[in-house]
Amino acid sequence: MSKKLLAVLICLGLIFISSIVIVVIRANQPAGQMVEIIQDGATLYTFDLSKAKNQTIRIDTPDSGYNVVTIQDGTIFMSEANCPDLICVHTGVLRSENVPIVCLPHKVIIHFVDGEGIA
Amino acid sequence: MSTKKLTELALLTAVALIIFVVELRIPPLVPIAGVKLGLANIITVYAVFRYKPNETAMVVTARLLLGAMFSGTIVSLLYSASGAFLCLVGMLSLRNIIPKNWIWLCSITGAIFHNIGQIIMAVILMKTTAVLANLPILMISGCIAGAFTGLCAQLLLNRLERRNPS
Repeated sequence: MSKKLLAVLICLGLIFISSIVIVVIRANQPAGQMVEIIQDGATLYTFDLSKAKNQTIRIDTPDSGYNVVTIQDGTIFMSEANCPDLICVHTGVLRSENVPIVCLPHKVIIHFVDGEGIA
Repeated sequence: MSTKKLTELALLTAVALIIFVVELRIPPLVPIAGVKLGLANIITVYAVFRYKPNETAMVVTARLLLGAMFSGTIVSLLYSASGAFLCLVGMLSLRNIIPKNWIWLCSITGAIFHNIGQIIMAVILMKTTAVLANLPILMISGCIAGAFTGLCAQLLLNRLERRNPS
């Protein structure tokens, strides 16, 4: 086994292991409750999920797209959208910092932010 | 370029495209934006080791353009192009370092580069760094998907080498 091959192996191993470590650490952190909804780089809403009332928020995009965000009993999820892949809807409830709800075609992101406002 | 070479490359492009279109029909295994098996990568890995870099780039470019037409979303072309470009750079740089029976490593590197390229594009297009939170998950999924497609490419290369050694 050549030295270069070994270097590649070690690099890949480090990336893999450090990613797992980050994911596990983040998953075990007490989740913040501040949620931010961003569309096309602009923050539309920031609110405390545990205090938010049950409601639906409709987000329209300029090219006649829409996403419907539902807040229900302290959870938030994308309940409806007319994007082609519907990955945002299938992602389900926002659970951790590891997996933000992302709708790539409509440029919508729903994610947890830290209390200090550092995303 | 000889007619034989042209035919081979065209055939590879067609196979990659078929795999790509079939994969579009499979519901995503993990419903997270950016996580995908990327089966068409098998052909790219194969091409990287069988053909010259510029020939591989031609196959990938043709597959990208035609794939975007079949999937019907032009925005996704930006994501897949940035991913595929970085993926190709990563794999070509490893081409001469990696011995014949370690090809799956090359595929993992390609997958990681691909996901990095996509997330850079996502940061640019969505104008926010919030998508970077996805990066660790994408790295893990890239390693797993890359290992899978890499092993497929490895088996393919081993078999074809045995049939018609180049």
